[in-house]
Amino acid sequence: MKIVITGGKHEADFIVKMLQEEHHQLIIINQDREFAEYISSHNDIAVFPGDPTKAYTLSDAEAHNADVLLALSDSDTDNYITCITGKRLFNIKKTVSKVRNPKNVELFKKLGVDSVISSTYLLAQTILNESSIENMIKTLSIEDEKIVMIELGVESDFALVNKRIMDIHFPKNINISCIFRDPHVIIPNGNTVIKAMDKLIIISTPNEKDEIIEFIQKKR
Amino acid sequence: MKRNKFVVIGSGRLGANIATKMSELGEDVIIIDATEDSFRKLQETFSGYQVVGDATDLSVLENSYIKHAKAVVITTDSDNVNIFLSHICYYVYNVPKIFVRLADTDKGRLLEGTYIKAIYPFTLSLNEFMNLSEVEEE
Repeated sequence: MKIVITGGKHEADFIVKMLQEEHHQLIIINQDREFAEYISSHNDIAVFPGDPTKAYTLSDAEAHNADVLLALSDSDTDNYITCITGKRLFNIKKTVSKVRNPKNVELFKKLGVDSVISSTYLLAQTILNESSIENMIKTLSIEDEKIVMIELGVESDFALVNKRIMDIHFPKNINISCIFRDPHVIIPNGNTVIKAMDKLIIISTPNEKDEIIEFIQKKR
Repeated sequence: MKRNKFVVIGSGRLGANIATKMSELGEDVIIIDATEDSFRKLQETFSGYQVVGDATDLSVLENSYIKHAKAVVITTDSDNVNIFLSHICYYVYNVPKIFVRLADTDKGRLLEGTYIKAIYPFTLSLNEFMNLSEVEEE
């Protein structure tokens, strides 16, 4: 793949090293001359010193038709301009931007940046997930938050205890993929009876998540 | 929703004077700048609102009635910020009239396909020079 990496310091250095091992075609642009030289000598690769928010820099670096552009500078605005310039003027297929302000994650996506990464945003998501463990619920989002996996502990006073799955009127878009009944792992069918202390692994969509959790935790 | 506000982002010489003029013409003007000091450039006849804040923060824009703006003029001192803000006003808030000052004519290519209007001091100065030098020759 042809990959353009703009800005960034140690994260750029790290990513360059990683991608070099995979034998990708790398184009590296860094405005900080000193750091550009460091990355260059450290990884034995050419680095273009220049401002990636300017079209002529991307042009000089021959970034045209790249598969991916990664914008890693410390300025959210500059990263946005770099991504949009790459996408609109250089036909770059996928743009990825780092952001400092977590509020920019949604905004950049809305404005056409394909993928937006904020360490604070990720941290907040992790904390949200961790905090729900207290109520014996763990969730994991897959496929860009279109699918959620919910892990939920069954307590003895839940209404669905000792019922067969086929007899429970579940909400739509729910699939109990797996039941963990220490030490056994059960792939359930309609005849499977849910027991207290079971751990249910449920696949669902984010919209239905709260409804499903509420349904399962209904008390007798 | 009624769109009756006139929003100016960046209270430099150009922004402050546009804000003053539009205020004199009876528009309901809101001017935003990151530093309070910049509002000194507003003339005494300005009777609109001043908002101190970073306009690239959506909450600042929304507190400045961007959803009720019939027009926005963007004149901060950074082209990148100006393009970013004009895209936000166009794609997120659908402001019907957007004007943006750009130093680099090359950046105007990022406005293609939109109704955002760019003002290039460079082009204006160049044209003015050509006009003035023509007059001299005659």
